[in-house]
Amino acid sequence: MSEQIEGYVDLSVETGQKLNVDLIIARGISNIENQVRFSQNKIDINKQWNSKMVELVVVVDENRLSISEFSPTSNESVKENVEATVKFTQNMAVNPFFQGVEETSSSYPEPAWLADTKIRDYHEKAPQDVNACIDAAISAGAVRVAGSYLFGEKKIYLKSSAGPSGSYTGTFYNFTVRAFQDELDASGQGFTCGRMPFKAEKAILAAGEQAGHFSKLHQGAKQARPGKYDLILSPAVAADLLGTIPGMANPLSIMMGISALGDKMGEKLGPEFISVEDNGLQPDGLRSSPFDFEGTPRQSTPIIKDGVLINFLHNTSTSKMAGGTSTGNSELVDFGSIGTKFLAPSPTNLVFNTGDHSFEELLEGTNAAIFVTCNWYTRFTSRISTEYSTIPRDAAFIVENGELGQPIKNFRISDNLLRQFANISGLEKDRIQIYWWQTPFPTWIGSVRVKDCRITTATQ
Amino acid sequence: MSFGKDYAEFGVGFAQENGVDYAEARLINGQRTILFLRNGVLFSGTQRPWLGIGFRVLKNGGLAFVSIDDLSKKTVKNAINHGIKMAKGSNPKERIDFGDLVSNEAKWAVATKEKLADVDTDTMLELILEMDKKAEDHGIKTRANIFEAQSFEKYIVTSEGTHITSESSMLKFYGILTAKGLLDTEQRWVDFTRSTGWEGTKTWIDQYDDACARLTKVATQADNTMTGKVDFVVGPEVVGIICHENCGHPSEGDRIWGREGAQAGESFWRDLTLGESRIGSKHVTVLEDPTIPGTGGYYEYDDEGVKARERILIQDGIINEPLLNREYGVKFGLRSNGASRSSDYNREPIIRMANTYMKPGDYTNIEELAEDVKKGIYMLSFTEWNIDDRRYQSKYVGFECYEIKNGEITDSMVRRPVMELTSIGLFSSIDAVTKDLVFDFSGICGKSDPGQGVPVYAGGGCIRMRDIKLG
Repeated sequence: MSEQIEGYVDLSVETGQKLNVDLIIARGISNIENQVRFSQNKIDINKQWNSKMVELVVVVDENRLSISEFSPTSNESVKENVEATVKFTQNMAVNPFFQGVEETSSSYPEPAWLADTKIRDYHEKAPQDVNACIDAAISAGAVRVAGSYLFGEKKIYLKSSAGPSGSYTGTFYNFTVRAFQDELDASGQGFTCGRMPFKAEKAILAAGEQAGHFSKLHQGAKQARPGKYDLILSPAVAADLLGTIPGMANPLSIMMGISALGDKMGEKLGPEFISVEDNGLQPDGLRSSPFDFEGTPRQSTPIIKDGVLINFLHNTSTSKMAGGTSTGNSELVDFGSIGTKFLAPSPTNLVFNTGDHSFEELLEGTNAAIFVTCNWYTRFTSRISTEYSTIPRDAAFIVENGELGQPIKNFRISDNLLRQFANISGLEKDRIQIYWWQTPFPTWIGSVRVKDCRITTATQ
Repeated sequence: MSFGKDYAEFGVGFAQENGVDYAEARLINGQRTILFLRNGVLFSGTQRPWLGIGFRVLKNGGLAFVSIDDLSKKTVKNAINHGIKMAKGSNPKERIDFGDLVSNEAKWAVATKEKLADVDTDTMLELILEMDKKAEDHGIKTRANIFEAQSFEKYIVTSEGTHITSESSMLKFYGILTAKGLLDTEQRWVDFTRSTGWEGTKTWIDQYDDACARLTKVATQADNTMTGKVDFVVGPEVVGIICHENCGHPSEGDRIWGREGAQAGESFWRDLTLGESRIGSKHVTVLEDPTIPGTGGYYEYDDEGVKARERILIQDGIINEPLLNREYGVKFGLRSNGASRSSDYNREPIIRMANTYMKPGDYTNIEELAEDVKKGIYMLSFTEWNIDDRRYQSKYVGFECYEIKNGEITDSMVRRPVMELTSIGLFSSIDAVTKDLVFDFSGICGKSDPGQGVPVYAGGGCIRMRDIKLG
C-alpha cells in the first residue's frame, strides 16, 4: 500500500474529527490499470490509467450526509477538500435513509488469490498474450479478430471514525475477444477474467480459439424465424439475462423502482434446482474483497435458495430498516454516467449453483431450440414486470437432434425475465465467471436451458 | 492560467523532447454537484472536484493513452515515459497516421446568464423538490430524481501548436418514474440534459409536469392493442432516437473500419458506397451538428482540436459522409470532420455523435401527415428499444401512442406498439417530414470499453412511415 495515500486517508479522518463531524469514512484507492485494444488482427492502442483518489462519506448534525472524492496532492489539499465536504454536508437535509454504519473493528485476512505479486511486470507480456490470442483465433478459423484486454492493480486503505480500518491489494484481468469472417454477420466471442494475469495465458488462448471456432461455424447463417423456442443460453447470455434477477435483490434498486423483487420475498422465482448467492469472498471473483465500504467483513449471502427468494443484500442502514444485519454489501454506488455516488448495498459476485447437465445434455429435448452464444443491448419496457428484449450477437444455431445445426442470425429475444427465470429447465454442471460490457456484476454461471421463449424478427 | 495547464504543457513539451511524432494533453479542471432524491427525500448529496489530464502520444506509428489525476512534474514525466514505451512496444502492423497537421488556437465557452458556481445547494434542492411534488401530485408513487450541475474548464494542447481553452456548463437531470397502470406498471425515464447556465432549468418544472401527466395518461388509458399493417406518424423524440441509432452510429468511421468490433460493434455501412448507396427514401436527410448552443452535444472544437461543423450523414436517402476523427479521416482518404470526443480526462478521444437530427421537410404539422392515413398510429414517444451491433436490426416500442383512423388522430391510446424494422426498411418507408425541428431526445450515448457516456441530443420534425407491419 502506498504510504502516501494511507497518510492522506488518516489525515482526512483526523481533519473531519477536528471539525466535529458525527462520522467520517475515508477510502484511499491507488490504482494502476492498463488496457490493450485490438482490431483487424492488430493492436490499436495501449493505455494506462494512474489514479490516486480519496473517497469520503461525511455525516454531521442529525444525519446530514454527503459523499465526495478528490485526488490528493498534498496535506493542504486534503484539509481543504475535507473542509469543503463538511461545509457542503452542513447544507444537506437530514437523511432518513441513513441509519448508521459498521462500528465493529475486525481483522481482515487477505486471500493469496486476490493479488498477483508480479503484476507490475505484466504490461510487458500483455501484448504477447494478445498477439497469441489473435493467432489462436485465426488458426481456429477467424479472418478478423478484435478485442480488449484490461488488467491492473488496486490498493485500498479504509479508515472509519466509527472504528473499522483495513487495507488490501487486488489485481485483475478481463479479456474479451471477438472473431469475424469477411462477412459482417458471421462472428464469435470469447471471454476470460480473473485475478492472476500471469496465469491467464491458457484461458486467453482458449477464448481466442472459441471466438474463431464460432465465427467459422456461423458462416452461412440464415434468417431466423420468429416463434416459441427453448433457448440454450451460453454462460455469457445467461449471466446477462438470468443474473439480472438476483442482481435486483437490492433495496436501492427497489427504492428507485428498478427492481422486480420488492414484493417477492419468500416467493418461488425459479425451479428447485436453482440457488444463487452473493459471495464477496468468491475465489478469483472480480468484486471479491476482505471488507465492504463500511469495514464490514465480506461474506456469502444466499439470495435464492431452491428457487425461492430468501434474502436481499444490505448495508448497515438498509439492514436496520429491514430489521436485520448487514450482509457486507455496502458500497459507494455509481449511477450511469452521472457523477453521483450513493452509500448503498451493491452486489459483489453473483454465484449460481452448479447443475447436473453436461452441455450436450442441455441440447437434448423435443421442443424446437436455439443455442445463443452472446447478446447485447438488453432493454426493459418495465423493470418491475421485466418485459424486455435483447439482441443475440455472434453465433447462434438451431439445435437439431441434440446437436448444433443450421446457423441463424437477425433475431431478438422478446420476453419476460421473471417468466424465463421460472422456466429454467436445465443448468450446466460447469460454470465460469462472466464480467464484460453487458454484465454489470461478475456472475458465475454455466450454460442454461430455458423453455418456451419468444423470438421475434424484423417485419421488413 | 487555471491550475493544471502548466502540467499539460509540460507533458507535451517533455514528450517532444523525447522524440514523439505527436503528443496531446487534455486537462479537465472543474466541479460537480449532485443531488439524488427518492420520493421527495434527499438520499444522497455529492460534491466533487474534477481534475486530471489525459495524454496521447504517437511514436513509430504506435499510439498510447495515459491519464493521471495526481498532478506533479514527476507524475507527468512518469506518464509520458510510460506512454512512449507503450507506443513503441505496440509495434503496430499498420502505422497510425493523424494526417495533415492541425494547429488551432481558440477560446470558447458555453454562454451562461447564471453561472452554476453562483447557485447554492439549497436553490438546487428546492427546484428538484418542486419537480418531485409535481410528480407526486400526478399520483406517481415511485420517483427517483437525480440532478447534476457540472462546470469545468478544458484545455487541449498538442505538439502541433493547438491551444484550445473552453469553459463548459452542463445541467443533467434524470427522473425515473414508475406508475401503476391498467395492465402493468409503466415506467418513464425523463432526461433534461443541457449545456447552459442555471437559466436552463427555468422550464424544468413545466416540462416535468407535462412528462408526469403523460405517464399517468399512458398508465391509465393505454389499452388499445393494434395488429397488422399500419402507417405510423412519429414524433420528434422517436425520430431523434431513430436518427441516432439507425444512422448516427453506423456512420461512425471507427465502427465502419472495425475498431469497435469487440465492443460497440461494426457497421452495415461497411459494405456500402458513400455518395452512391441508397438506404432510405428521398425524404430522408440526416444531419449531425455539434455547433448548436444549449444542446447536450454542443462544442466548438472537438477533443483533437479540430473545428466543429455540420455533417450531412444521409442526403436524400443516400449515405453521404461518415463521422471522422483525424486517424479515420486519413483511412477514408478524407479529413477529420470534428467528431472526436472523450467523456472525461481519463478516456481516449474517439469518434462520437453530438446532435443528430432529421432535416425538416415541407409538411406543416402532424394533422397534415395524418390526413390520408386510414389505419395508423401516432407515436409520440418510446420506451424499450434496441438495435444490433451492425446497426441494422432495430426495435422501438411505443410509449404514448394514439390510433389514427380515417385521417383523424383519435383519443384512443394504443398500448406498446412494436416497430421492429431493418434500418433500410425503416428509412425507406418514410414519405413525409414536417417543417419544424424539435430536439425532444436528450440522453447519454455509451460506447467503447471502458465505457464512455457522452451527452447527445437528437430530434427532427415529425415523419410519416407507410405500410409497417407491427411486430
